Amino acid sequence: MDPWLDFTVIRNNLTYFFIGSYPHGNLGGVALTLYLAVTSCVISFVGGLILGLLSVSRHRAIRYPTLAVINTVRGVPLLMVIFWMYFLLPSLLGHPVPESRTVIAALALFTSAYMAEIVRAGVEGIPRGQTEAALATGLRPWQALVYVVLPQGLRNMLPSFVNQFVSLIKDTSLAYIVGVSELTQVATQVNNRSMVHPTEIFFFIAAVYFIICFTFTSISRRLESRLAWRKSI
Amino acid sequence: MTKLANLLLAIVILAALSTAAIAAGDTLAEIKRKGVLVAGVKDSLPPFGYIDEQTRRIVGYDVDFARAIADKLGVKLELKPVSSASRIPQLMERHIDIIVATTSNTPQRQQQIDFSYAYFFTVQKFLVKKGTVKSLADLEGKKIGTAKGSDSEQNASEALPSATILSFDDYPQAFLALQQGKIFAVTTDEAILAGIRQKAPNKEKFEIPDFQISDEAYGIAMRKGDSALRDFVNKTLLEMEASGQAKEIFEKWFGPQSATPMSRAFSITADK
Repeated sequence: MDPWLDFTVIRNNLTYFFIGSYPHGNLGGVALTLYLAVTSCVISFVGGLILGLLSVSRHRAIRYPTLAVINTVRGVPLLMVIFWMYFLLPSLLGHPVPESRTVIAALALFTSAYMAEIVRAGVEGIPRGQTEAALATGLRPWQALVYVVLPQGLRNMLPSFVNQFVSLIKDTSLAYIVGVSELTQVATQVNNRSMVHPTEIFFFIAAVYFIICFTFTSISRRLESRLAWRKSI
Repeated sequence: MTKLANLLLAIVILAALSTAAIAAGDTLAEIKRKGVLVAGVKDSLPPFGYIDEQTRRIVGYDVDFARAIADKLGVKLELKPVSSASRIPQLMERHIDIIVATTSNTPQRQQQIDFSYAYFFTVQKFLVKKGTVKSLADLEGKKIGTAKGSDSEQNASEALPSATILSFDDYPQAFLALQQGKIFAVTTDEAILAGIRQKAPNKEKFEIPDFQISDEAYGIAMRKGDSALRDFVNKTLLEMEASGQAKEIFEKWFGPQSATPMSRAFSITADK
């Protein structure tokens, strides 16, 4: 009788699971997954903030095009966004772009659209009286937004941001479609070579994804409680 | 999802075709100028292209052919992993110069891309539990597994119209389904089936019955109209056959000592 689970396949490929072919090839595995997640996380935070604020603009000429972009991106499956970006970006820029960059662009664009809605909800959730009081003190509308509304709104948005970023970490696994060797793709490569240990391999990578996501949520929960004391209303 | 992906792929290929027509230039001169040959290879299909456990580099039968061509050109070789679904769009979009990724030469594909002489021949067979199948007729009406994006899918449904063809993401998943009795057989090229069977811990329980449903000839694929490059690749392949290098590569990956022992029932010629 064969042993129920045989984890030697994980031990033998541990380096490959964590850093891929690096240093004599491209970075891969867990390291690449983290790189994709962190980079697109930062970009989509900024992008989402900008798109979100534009979408609550009082000017229709700004609001309508922004809403059109947000709704278009939200209406397309992420897999397609990644695939399209892969072919679109090099032709737009006129020179070859590394696959991992095109994936970051796709993930950042996709997540920004979702973040924008969170930002919109966060801003609209602040009582109008706050803005009115700020304007009454002589602040300009943009100052009222940046100094009064956003600081309170962002705190309320934090849990939704974390939700979105956890989702983003797991979405990096779709990068396999354009041949980027992040964790899932690396697991597929090893699985196709060893052929007979799919349970062990996919159990292992599920555990890795869980650890990454759980670490992230724990850190952000701590951040939330540190920010909570300033909440006065 | 698959339908959606296919639709998208069709659009991309169309778009690629329209740009390729304008962009068809002299790739051979371009490769020499850059000093790099960019070859699209499989990275998860032993023994054709896969990541070596020790060195963590892509190795395999296809990779050795790509390297031989790069050496002959006197340029460096850059390997880019491709999947069955992405390889042709990537070639059209000039992300890669050649495809050396178990690409079967078919009339449908010839409308989009040019093929070199065949550098590997195999036949499509079935992997089944021992003693369950004697002839093709035993597979009628059964569930049969294979991998997405391969032409094994199409061949199987043509040869066995009454069978249900299930397409898995990869061959290991298909083999797992066979082990668990969810499907009756796994079908694809014999070389791949032999590799799967060899890796199985209980391989004596499985067999590859001695009948086939199609002949497959793998060619190196290039953009249509790249005749200078195609002629160079063809010339190199014939030289490799004459010098014994092609046979040597075959023995390395399919010889008696390898994980997938097969006999070389072909030679590279100008008529295939």
